[in-house]
Amino acid sequence: MNTPKILVFSTEKISDPALDFAGLMKLHYPASVHAIVLPCSSSVRPEWIIHAFESGFKGVYIAADGSDCPYGESCIAKTAKIVERSHVLMKEKGIPTDRLRMAAVCSVCAEIFVKQINIFAEELNASLKKED
Amino acid sequence: MEDILQDSSVKVADSLVVGGGIAGLEAALNLANTGQQVVVVEKDLSVGGRMIHLSKVFPTLDCSACITTPKVSEAARHPHINIITNCELKQISSDENSYWHVRLQINPRYVNESLCTGCQDCEEACPVVVRDEYQYNLVGRKAAFIPFSIASPRVAAIDIDNCILCGACEKACGPGAIDFSQEPVQTEWVVKSIIIATGFKLFDSDKIIRYGSGKFKNVLTAMQMERQLVPTRPFNTVLRPGDGKIPEKIAYVLCTGSRDESVGNPICSQICCMYSIKQAQLLLGALPMVDVTVYYLHIRAFGKGFDEFYQQAKMMDVNFIKGKVGRIRELENGDLVVRYEDIASGQVMEATYDLVVLSVGILPNMDVEKIAGLETLELDPFKFLNQRHEMTNPFKTNLPGIFMAGTASGPMDIPDSILSAGAVSALVNKYNKQLLETTVNSLEITSWND
Amino acid sequence: MTKEQGNTGKRIGVYICRCGSNISDYVDVDTVCSEVAKEKNVRLARVMMFACADSAQKEIVADITNEPLDAIVVASCSPKLHLHTFRAVAERGGLNPFNYVQVNIREQSSWAHSDNPPQATEKAFNLIKAGIARVDLAEPLMPVTIPAENSVLILGAGVAGMRSAIELADLGSQVFLVEREFFVGGRVAQWGKMATTDQTGEEIVTALYNQIRTRKNIQVYTGAHIISSKGSIGNFNLQIKVVPRYVKPPCDPQGFRKAIEACPVIVDDEFNFGLTKRKAIFHNYKSEFPALPVIDMANCTRCGECLKHCTGINLDQKEEIIDIHAGTIFLATGFNPYEPRPGEFGFGELSNVITLQQLKRLLELSKGEFRFREKKIESIAFIYCVGSRQVDGDNKYCSRYCCTSAIHAALQLKQEFNVPVIYHLNKGIRTYGKQEVLYAQSSAAGDVYLQFVEDEPLLVEIYGEQAKITINDLLTAGQEITVTADLVVLVTGMVPRDNIDLNRILKVPIGKDKFYNEIHPKLRPVETVIDGLVISGCCQGPRNIHESVSSSLAAVAKVYTFINKGEIQLEPTLAIVNPDACEWCGLCLAACPFDAIQMVETGKGKIAQIIEGNCKGCGMCTPVCPTEAIDLKGFTNMEIRSMIEAMSG
Repeated sequence: MNTPKILVFSTEKISDPALDFAGLMKLHYPASVHAIVLPCSSSVRPEWIIHAFESGFKGVYIAADGSDCPYGESCIAKTAKIVERSHVLMKEKGIPTDRLRMAAVCSVCAEIFVKQINIFAEELNASLKKED
Repeated sequence: MEDILQDSSVKVADSLVVGGGIAGLEAALNLANTGQQVVVVEKDLSVGGRMIHLSKVFPTLDCSACITTPKVSEAARHPHINIITNCELKQISSDENSYWHVRLQINPRYVNESLCTGCQDCEEACPVVVRDEYQYNLVGRKAAFIPFSIASPRVAAIDIDNCILCGACEKACGPGAIDFSQEPVQTEWVVKSIIIATGFKLFDSDKIIRYGSGKFKNVLTAMQMERQLVPTRPFNTVLRPGDGKIPEKIAYVLCTGSRDESVGNPICSQICCMYSIKQAQLLLGALPMVDVTVYYLHIRAFGKGFDEFYQQAKMMDVNFIKGKVGRIRELENGDLVVRYEDIASGQVMEATYDLVVLSVGILPNMDVEKIAGLETLELDPFKFLNQRHEMTNPFKTNLPGIFMAGTASGPMDIPDSILSAGAVSALVNKYNKQLLETTVNSLEITSWND
Repeated sequence: MTKEQGNTGKRIGVYICRCGSNISDYVDVDTVCSEVAKEKNVRLARVMMFACADSAQKEIVADITNEPLDAIVVASCSPKLHLHTFRAVAERGGLNPFNYVQVNIREQSSWAHSDNPPQATEKAFNLIKAGIARVDLAEPLMPVTIPAENSVLILGAGVAGMRSAIELADLGSQVFLVEREFFVGGRVAQWGKMATTDQTGEEIVTALYNQIRTRKNIQVYTGAHIISSKGSIGNFNLQIKVVPRYVKPPCDPQGFRKAIEACPVIVDDEFNFGLTKRKAIFHNYKSEFPALPVIDMANCTRCGECLKHCTGINLDQKEEIIDIHAGTIFLATGFNPYEPRPGEFGFGELSNVITLQQLKRLLELSKGEFRFREKKIESIAFIYCVGSRQVDGDNKYCSRYCCTSAIHAALQLKQEFNVPVIYHLNKGIRTYGKQEVLYAQSSAAGDVYLQFVEDEPLLVEIYGEQAKITINDLLTAGQEITVTADLVVLVTGMVPRDNIDLNRILKVPIGKDKFYNEIHPKLRPVETVIDGLVISGCCQGPRNIHESVSSSLAAVAKVYTFINKGEIQLEPTLAIVNPDACEWCGLCLAACPFDAIQMVETGKGKIAQIIEGNCKGCGMCTPVCPTEAIDLKGFTNMEIRSMIEAMSG
């Protein structure tokens, strides 16, 4: 089965270590999930999210720093704001807003990440099928 | 008796840090970042100390590994820090210039650290299964093993006491890193100063027979519960070891081994109230239906944000009962009956739980006593390192150039341990500078409080 | 492929690691390698057994010089393991370390997708393509260094500030120690014997002050406060205002004593928390330095009586403004004791209700017998947690030091003054750690401990010459108990000092508990979001003296790392503004948690500028810019967009 392409924005100090950790523990998730690592989840540009959809990604997942962010607590609200702004842009482009997900992923939260990304992939699959 | 190889070259550093836990690493990083050359010796196979094994930490509930691992990797790759694991301090002596000569023994891990890629192929091949001390005996591990998933260095070791020398690991290892010919190596280092950051030992709850620890399967220590709560936990959920049942009623017994003259430890361990409250909160998150009761004498929620954290636990319906637990009894189905003196009613009462967690206290780590040359190091009445100038110079020992950080001087929580490590690095920086100037100019050291 | 950003003409080398078989068991590295070799600007692609091995590193260095290569990509394990290893390899080959990109095909491909080797292979290829796209656009980055003045402004000359001044001075910094009051020593100067060592505040403050006086690189200003601050870490330009003492040395002790006697103005003595009175010209206590009297101009009537007795007095002294250039600012402003509300547990209404701090002064003023308002005290009731752990009030926190301090004072009352009856009405005693011993001693000495329930406050009433307190005691099954005492001591906790101007000038971050807030209690416990501004001691939260000293020394260590080299080296991955695109809207300024953006006027108009000394490279400013004028070096808009395209396959 072909799984839909998902772009993950992870963060250097917090969520990307969790992705690494998932690999280390051989926890599986679809190979169509690709990650770009940034310093902080509050540095994701909504335009990148649109660009990802336009380049062929079917889903975007922000693995946020949450309260563990090394740059301070304002990260939570700022990442939420980025999602909100992206939703607006997605609506303009006719992209369903549920194709963008965001969750806080701590540096050893591998299981949580894998569980959520698997659910996301399944749901994307279902909704893409419906579209066909 | 195996041979001990002597490395005749004498190595030089500014400071030696004994113990690679959070306090030791923090002190080492602070010193290294100001240009000091630091050697960190850790007796375990990995640095990270106790903290690297914890789940979330109070009162901010941030993930412990998220704080420890960046510090660990920063220290591991720091050009001014030399970390030696699986290494013991054997002997120290001081020379006429007040420099310390330190004899270290690096014990063999039977794996060539520079060749091992951490792939775990040896682990898979090894046929021997023993209890995993890094998971506090909750599960097993192999005799060829990586200590734990976020260990640093993340390289394998052979547990030679349990190894059957079958050679399976050797065959499985791609880079050929397994080396059974390794022997202990002793080296000498010359340093200006030494920081003792040897941490603490946990109270052995088996010593309180009436609590059934070590006998009743569903009586756990708090560290065993902690391992069940970390994301890298062995069972992937919280369960009671006796029968794998998911617990619905859990009791915490505070002051196990603390504030208790009968076990020889009259003082308060300072952290158990808070870690128990934290575990209670995490349990309620992991098992929403669980009922958690905490038996306490006094809740010591004294630090920044601690009392607020305690109040939050009460709001979450953690049940706090002021009372001393007298005895724990096991029922046939593995449930546990806690008999306690309920102070609110003045009655002796009983309640039944699926799981009982003993909030064990912390004790001094007496390993420093075994080091030749440290016989004159002063200890306090509780066998922690003596803080001679507690008020104004709390981290100086009675010996010149020897300092202490973290729980070597007494019970302390993580924020205070980290502060103590920062403090000690300021003192050591100054000491090293003054010692250097003294040696150069033959002047007397004018150190505060001497 | 839509890589249309123009040909950079870079010569890129790609190395794909087998990691023994950890990668190559699941990822078909040879196929990936031959495909990668076809990518634009890739001059060379090799498969390696262990890229991290010394021999492999040497091979890469040789390739860089021989080919030659402008940039390299290593596809191997997680960058968390070997990013710095291969950056060093790039540097050894003569490349800028930022012309190296590591691609994680082990943790995030071969291991994560060992269940599906064909897809793991495809993903590895996509990830490597993204790495190539990134390195193709990567700019060489140089570490940014900014000069740092090796000097520190310490605000607050209590124990935390004084102790830090000595240490910083010995580490080679110029120290400006600024105290708002006319005497140094802070709160500790007011205490007599202290828990747990029985050292007195006087001993400690005297020793510290003597140490300070021997150090030439500590400049002490008393009666001084900060009035302005400009600049950033490494280079703060500060101004302090020094209020005159109106008294100058050398002074004739005889003359001063007469001058004080002659002064007609009588006010409460705040050093004794109003238990005694002082004049408008007043002498310091033994534990306060400098040992020179001062005229309190707020109360002085300028009557001139004192002038008749003493030539050292000059009522015409003027305020001075002093400029200070400092690399860092060190806050050690301490705490105030909580001031009970009128009527709180009878305070201010009943004459025999005092605070713990007043008791500490009373102990110092007492000799042989313990008397209050002439009356010999035979029984005392301590009421704990006044102003702390409030159920209704704002102070939700525990003040940490007060249980031990009160018990220590009670032991002193018993041992030195033979006060026979002492009650401790508490909400749970918190003598944590080794302080437990004092609690045990106090119980053994016969002190009575009664515990009240948090939501049922005590009732304190007048009962003849005594106070009567009614409590529902938790320790005796909620029984209502009444105790009477000659003196009631409210064990009042700590609140932050009232530093309104200072907080405004320095923009000090304040937490929920109103104390100064650190960035993170474990990662960066003495730093604030204002770079170069550190906090220590009780201004950060309640602490006892030894914890205060510990935190202040930790702050010393941090300050030393900031300024000891005379320059501060910053990671080069900082934000950068394109002045042509910026139309100054201020959104980036609002998004920045570190005060790293400022507005500057240029020929073109207002634009944003990065204060590099403050920037941490988090990138929070980048998504908010409406004109895409702000970028993050190392993670630029173009780089990420090209990675997205490359990954999309």
